[in-house]
Amino acid sequence: MANPLKLYLTCIRNTLEAAMCLQNFPCQEVERHNKPEVELKTSPELLLNPVLICRNEAEKCLIETSINSLRISLKVKQADELENILAKKFLRFLSMRAEAFQVLRRKPVQGYDISFLITNYHCEEMQKQKLIDFIVQFMEDIDKEISELKMSVSTRGRLVASEFLKQFL
Amino acid sequence: MATFERASPALKEILLRIYNAEKPIEVDHHLYEFGSVEYYIKSSASEPFTYLSISTPLLSQGVFLSYGLSPYTLQMVRDISIDALDIVEPPTDGYQLTLRLDFSKLPHDKESLKIITEVSSVQAVILSSQLKEMLQNVNSWDISQGMYKPIKLIYHPREPFYVIRQPQKIVAVFPMRFKDHSDVIIATSFFQELMDVGSSGKWAKVPHCNWSPIPPPELIGEPFEDLSTNGGFVSFDISSHHVEGKRLDKTVWSLLNFYAYVKHHVKCTRGFIQRRMRRRMDSLVQVLEKSMIEENGEIKKIKGNAGWKKMKKWMRLTSKSKMIKRRYHDFRKKMKRIRFRIKIHGFARFRRRWLTMPNFSSSMGYTQLKNNN
Repeated sequence: MANPLKLYLTCIRNTLEAAMCLQNFPCQEVERHNKPEVELKTSPELLLNPVLICRNEAEKCLIETSINSLRISLKVKQADELENILAKKFLRFLSMRAEAFQVLRRKPVQGYDISFLITNYHCEEMQKQKLIDFIVQFMEDIDKEISELKMSVSTRGRLVASEFLKQFL
Repeated sequence: MATFERASPALKEILLRIYNAEKPIEVDHHLYEFGSVEYYIKSSASEPFTYLSISTPLLSQGVFLSYGLSPYTLQMVRDISIDALDIVEPPTDGYQLTLRLDFSKLPHDKESLKIITEVSSVQAVILSSQLKEMLQNVNSWDISQGMYKPIKLIYHPREPFYVIRQPQKIVAVFPMRFKDHSDVIIATSFFQELMDVGSSGKWAKVPHCNWSPIPPPELIGEPFEDLSTNGGFVSFDISSHHVEGKRLDKTVWSLLNFYAYVKHHVKCTRGFIQRRMRRRMDSLVQVLEKSMIEENGEIKKIKGNAGWKKMKKWMRLTSKSKMIKRRYHDFRKKMKRIRFRIKIHGFARFRRRWLTMPNFSSSMGYTQLKNNN
């Protein structure tokens, strides 16, 4: 892993370890309801300060915490138009299948490419350390997958172009 | 792909059926292909001939076609089979060309299949011959202001392309249009690879290929709607080397099918991206499954290659079975209440305590230690 990326991911990991201290907290507004407070934002006393970690202008991570839930939003690197559409397609594909990931949000927060919503129930069902490992691993895998997809598309294009030009020989 | 094959599959099937029939059969078929090509096949038991009429939009509506198909095109069609094929004049009403086929004059070996395949590709022969004539024939081209005027050709209804004569070469320009923005990006990446590959030393003999987002200067003066594109302009420089002998046929067919080739590549690339995304998603879900906490001392074993769909199904089944159990229990209670109308006070408690089978397995997951004191 390159050094700048490693520092970025380490910073995110440390922040998540501090932020992922969630507990059950029923809704103060509506009786017998239990809602993730980070989504509603109706009670400021239940929200912590959001943390924005920027690797550069194009890549950043926003971590918003509340008493019973945590929201992580990611902006992925997109160097050119091709990476842009590949990232958009892939992240939209994953978001549409959010129920498979449980902690993934169906719609990303505005200004970001993908968002996670972790509640106290997820922390009870899953191990906290492994959940953080999953988020960090996810970020690495996304970058790797987009680079590989871009390379595959270019390679396919080159092969198809060669086949087309062969007809003129 | 049907658009890359010259022969029409449906027409070939009908002609083979007529050829292979033991005795003459009655056939009266109208075939429509690609929205604008029409075939009419007529064969009767009383006559030994089969008539095939073709109507196809021609490449160019210019001066070549004032008097119908050119003699060059008609000769190309006759060359398919001199013995078994004859052109009927005048053609059937509503059609540009009518052929009379005599299957009895076809050889009784594999050669017959080859001839029938070539007859089925008569539409490709007509269109290719028109482009061949243009590439070979220089003198009849319009000259305007010292420059040769570009000729607009239409192979597919909404996808015209231009052929421009220049000294020492002919330039074929393709304005590219796509419906989706992601198709534009994938196609642009392909055109850049095409330029890179074409300019390498190994491919020196192929036509020089160029892509630009703006119309080339040769197309100045053409209608605005033909020059407004989102995929840019691809141009090929065809030299005399590429139209010599047998290469002429290949060059012409490649140019006519360039649009279809690009669209097919874009579609296949999208399918490839979709498949890769699905595979990657399965691997990402497996990482998350490892973070699930162990229950009752047993690790939740989920097969590595089952993916998230089986996990979802399993979770749905377990919740369904609990619901069924609850409903059965409620139903049993209701039936008992209806059946046991005579109530004895205290009997229910007596029955619950002394007349039920003890439950030997503990639902709490632990056994109570005996008090030794």
